[in-house]
Amino acid sequence: MSESVHDGLAGRTVLLTGVTGFIGQALLERLLSGHPGTRVVTLLRERPGVTAEQRLDELLAKPVFAPWRERTGEDAAREIVRDRVRVVPADITESVPELPDDVDVAIHGASIVSFDPPIDEAFATNVVGTIDLYEAVRRAGERAGKTPHIVHVSTAYVAGSRKGIVPETTLDHEVDWATELEYAVEARRTVERDSRRPEVLGRLRAAALGEQGKAGPTAVAADTERRRREEVDNRLTDYGRERARSLGWPDVYTLTKALGERAAEETARDLPLSIVRPAIVESALRHPYPGWIDGFKMADPLILAYGQGMLRALAGIPDGIVDIIPVDMVVNALLGAAAQVPEPGAPAYYHVGSGARNPLTLQRLVELVQGYFAEHPLPGTDGRGAIRPRDVTLLSDGRAEKMLGTAERAMDLAERALLILPSGERTRGWQRTLHKQGREVRALRRFRDLYGAYGAAEVVYADTATVALDRSLPDGAGCDSAVIDWDHYLREVHCPAVTGAFRLAPPHHPQPRPALTSGRPAPPAVRFEERRDVAAVFDLDGTIVASDVVEAHLWARLLDVPVRSWPGTLLPVLRSAPRYLRMEHRDRGEFLREFVRRYEGANEARLRALARERLADVLLRRAWPQAIRRIRSHRAAGHRTVLLTGTVDVFVEPLRTLFDDVLAARLRVVDGHFTGHFEHPPLIGEARAAWLRSWAREEGVDLAASWAYGDHYSDRPVLEQVGNPVAVNPDPRLYRHAKRERWTIADWDGDTGAVSTLLDAALEEAR
Amino acid sequence: MSRPGLVLEVDERTPPILVHEGEGFRLERFPLGTRVIYPPDSLPGLRDLTGRIRDALLNPLGSEPLPELLRSGMRLTIVFDDLSLPLPPMRAPDVRQRVIEQVLEMAAAAGVDDVELIAGNALHRRMTPAEIKHIVGERVFTSFWPDRLRNHDAEDRDDLKSLGQTRHGEDVEINRRAVESDLIVYVNINLVAMNGGAKSVAVGLASYKSLRHHHNVHTLRHSRSFNDPPNSAMHHSYDRMHELLSESVRVFHIECTLNNDQFPSPFEFLNKREWEWTLKDQAKFLAAKRANDLAPAGARHRVWQGMRAPYGVTGVHAGATDQVHERTLAAVHRQQLTEVHGQSDVLMLGLPYLCPYNVNSVMNPILVYSLGLGYYFNMYRGKPLVREGGALIMYHPMKSEFHPLHHPSYIDFYEEVLTQTTDPATIETKYEEQYATDPWYVHLYRNSYAYHGVHPFYMWYWGAHALSHLGDVICVGADRKVASRLGFRAASTLADALEMAGETVGRSPSLTYLHTPPMTLADVR
Repeated sequence: MSESVHDGLAGRTVLLTGVTGFIGQALLERLLSGHPGTRVVTLLRERPGVTAEQRLDELLAKPVFAPWRERTGEDAAREIVRDRVRVVPADITESVPELPDDVDVAIHGASIVSFDPPIDEAFATNVVGTIDLYEAVRRAGERAGKTPHIVHVSTAYVAGSRKGIVPETTLDHEVDWATELEYAVEARRTVERDSRRPEVLGRLRAAALGEQGKAGPTAVAADTERRRREEVDNRLTDYGRERARSLGWPDVYTLTKALGERAAEETARDLPLSIVRPAIVESALRHPYPGWIDGFKMADPLILAYGQGMLRALAGIPDGIVDIIPVDMVVNALLGAAAQVPEPGAPAYYHVGSGARNPLTLQRLVELVQGYFAEHPLPGTDGRGAIRPRDVTLLSDGRAEKMLGTAERAMDLAERALLILPSGERTRGWQRTLHKQGREVRALRRFRDLYGAYGAAEVVYADTATVALDRSLPDGAGCDSAVIDWDHYLREVHCPAVTGAFRLAPPHHPQPRPALTSGRPAPPAVRFEERRDVAAVFDLDGTIVASDVVEAHLWARLLDVPVRSWPGTLLPVLRSAPRYLRMEHRDRGEFLREFVRRYEGANEARLRALARERLADVLLRRAWPQAIRRIRSHRAAGHRTVLLTGTVDVFVEPLRTLFDDVLAARLRVVDGHFTGHFEHPPLIGEARAAWLRSWAREEGVDLAASWAYGDHYSDRPVLEQVGNPVAVNPDPRLYRHAKRERWTIADWDGDTGAVSTLLDAALEEAR
Repeated sequence: MSRPGLVLEVDERTPPILVHEGEGFRLERFPLGTRVIYPPDSLPGLRDLTGRIRDALLNPLGSEPLPELLRSGMRLTIVFDDLSLPLPPMRAPDVRQRVIEQVLEMAAAAGVDDVELIAGNALHRRMTPAEIKHIVGERVFTSFWPDRLRNHDAEDRDDLKSLGQTRHGEDVEINRRAVESDLIVYVNINLVAMNGGAKSVAVGLASYKSLRHHHNVHTLRHSRSFNDPPNSAMHHSYDRMHELLSESVRVFHIECTLNNDQFPSPFEFLNKREWEWTLKDQAKFLAAKRANDLAPAGARHRVWQGMRAPYGVTGVHAGATDQVHERTLAAVHRQQLTEVHGQSDVLMLGLPYLCPYNVNSVMNPILVYSLGLGYYFNMYRGKPLVREGGALIMYHPMKSEFHPLHHPSYIDFYEEVLTQTTDPATIETKYEEQYATDPWYVHLYRNSYAYHGVHPFYMWYWGAHALSHLGDVICVGADRKVASRLGFRAASTLADALEMAGETVGRSPSLTYLHTPPMTLADVR
């Protein structure tokens, strides 16, 4: 280990922020493992139910500390941490508490993670948080009578959108951070106020109604508010992006980092200040072990997308430089800089990157990644062998944008079209394909947004100071990017590290089975855990039977008259069909109320007899065998089976014995005749969910362990109540939702569906 | 006089032979030397059926004439076979209607008021009003439906009566109304030798509690065959039960036998021997085959299921059960029995569209199985047509189709039981009780038109004897997945099937094709 660094940091107290981040973790690890004489103070944000100390424990369990813990021994490691690490609970975006007096060096690594955050949030962290922290550091120093050294972690991209060589010095701009900050805070108020204007809320509610109307008013309200917040965030993101661009930065992240530097220079003008600007930080070259990485960094989604065969085109300049630097080099530079205390008022600047001394072009990066996957393709998830590597085309910015725009519009149209189409096996198949292709387009969009600015910049960050710093560091722990062999780093270290998680799954080795005689192996019979406090809630129409309210009505009418009168019976209903459809689209309750008016004047006893004797068979014929079996296996396991339906109770009778509880609509009867109105409001959408919650409370049913089955988007509120929702032959909207929420999707079918065979039977009956 | 049955040996001059396969048929060129077993030609029907019925009722066997058994104030119950007989259903008027009408006339003449008609459908599905009307005729239907004409309900505890046990410990529990009557008149149609006799009341009006004593794997493995009552353990059980119930109630049995005219015009060529087809028959075959192959599945299904047979009635016998049944069996044998010498290595069967349990319904895979390995395999007297360890090749498309209303427990049996095992004994011990007592199936049996929950099990036991006898079963033209679910293999052509069977029976097996329908009972010496 280097004497100079030891000398610089031994016996000193280092304050770390952003210690849960990628660089922060590596810093803490290095301080613990390589600097036995250094004490550490970390600022950690508390989470609800998790104290800062617990977060430190969680942190220390991470892979980055594994080699050190192993070398030292678990108990010794714990002892060392107790001895040398102090935790100060704090959230620097809120306020910074008083810091321990003995802080000698503050390495400020905390920063906002996203590139496109709302403008006020970006300023709160990157500017306000920085100032508050440095003030606190100064106060702590004053109390102890010393001048702590501040190491400010920035990014190479604070230089903004420019070309050519960027020197290691203070940034060249005239932007006043205080003014920008003031307007950023103001922007939040303005946007929030605007989002509450009636025109805006009306528009949002209309959109929510179109999307969620069938799920009920609470869902609409929640969705409206969600849309408002989303719109506020998007708007503030726009504010940020456009302000940044107008000032010459690619995004608000780099803008606020740049302004943060200026603020740091001003706040810490009487303290020693070192500003370190790493480029794109990627997996470790050597320390703590080659290939250590935490989560996916900037270039990695791209590498993975390529490996998964999803990436065919990429926007960028082939000879543009991708400035990648391994994390351990950044850590070396930071600690080296921390040990070299500059004069107060004369900050030191370091660019930590590879672009100046060991440039990696985009073209070469793509080639190396392709080479890696050609040798080590990712295993497919479908048992069809490894994923085929593809060629990647590098597109100019303009062309990429045009292509993406077209693709996005097409996707959007297709998705909307599918939502209108009636649900069915085929529609769901299309939706599946679309879902996949949508993922591809969205990924391309993300890459384009990300790498548009970073991936192919024609800019070189001078690193003279960093190279000089490197000279003070020991061999193997330096920060000179010239030692990186890109071929080795990308193909042996980085790509294996990034793809590791995808190779963990055991390879698919299907058992050989006789090819000719056996079909698909039979799925194991469904057996539920036996429990008394679990319910299985079923919707009727479309979920258990392939029919609906209208069909039930038609059968009731048709079976009651001779065949020759059928046209006369059908015609009025058919004539009203468009009206019913429109109404159904708007509000199911309204539709049901309107529709049951058709029963006005019908004789109750007669309808019940008809339902019992003739309709029962129609209903049973239309029932999916899988549904009946499912209900019965729930019962066999002791579950409470519940039927929740808007269908009139008369038509539910044949299935009643399958259920412990049946909640169906009841028609009002006066003098033995139906009035054409409901006795109580029919249970639809959220009303069902509310009923289910209160029922479960009363009956002591554990909804989290319960099951619910529905086919229509209006069943969503019910499905959301339980731990095991199942979307049965879902309509496109529910399918989309189920897919997103990873609900079980069941395809139930059989001869049941064919109306023609049914018609035959009915004709037979009617004769 | 009609010609006796025939065993044809296929030679160069033999034309292709007709083979049924579900709702369709084909002409198959069997390998030279194949034995083809034909039934005797269709016997002539009775000219004066009304007169014959009257004569049988007035001059019964081993009994007083029917009018003498009828008196005012008595309880009379007329029981009749359900729609599982005959196959296909008889063209109206059904012979049961003609018999019942005469019985009712005599009862009216004697002043009997308390008359009820009950269908002996045991655990079969209820018949619809239309189906009952087809059997008993318009007049009887309008007079008695629905209060005094009904289906037997084997799950109506109030309408069942236990008569104790036979000397073998078999429970006898049958329809209360029938048992508590002064006289049961049973009106039967005997299509095959298995039906009729002691079976009629003891099975037709029984409950699950009673049926499980003979409808089980053990009994069926010892019924060789169940179409040969003296050698059928199942029939021995029927006899014991009948004996016991005869102590409580008098049964006046009327049995009718039919000839082999199973197919109406324009399908009458299906009743003929191929080399005797006229030009017209050949044209009809071509037209029918073409139309059938081209027709959409629904239309095809309607045509086949709509077929009503122009049967001739060959005999009506009435009186004491045993004596009547003896005559009946003789008549059945006269129409169906063909003498065959020796067993063969391979038996080939063409399975038609219909079995007793899919009238007006769908032939599901389990019914195909029971038709092949149950009914047709057991169409023998003496020894099976195929040697022990031999192979069975049967033709049927075997689609995975079910009638949700009629066969709900079949669907579950197919999905839940057959996926676990196909061994009849295992199935019986592990699953039968559960299905038989399942309240949902009971509900459907009683209130809808479903076969009883236990019925698919009986179908599976029906093949138990064949399963333990055979070395291999290959299904020509079958859906592979379905065949494999049943435990069999599928082949696309006969040549392939024979190739596959070679593993079991060697390279040059002896072959027999049972040409049926029409019904053929092989008397294997």
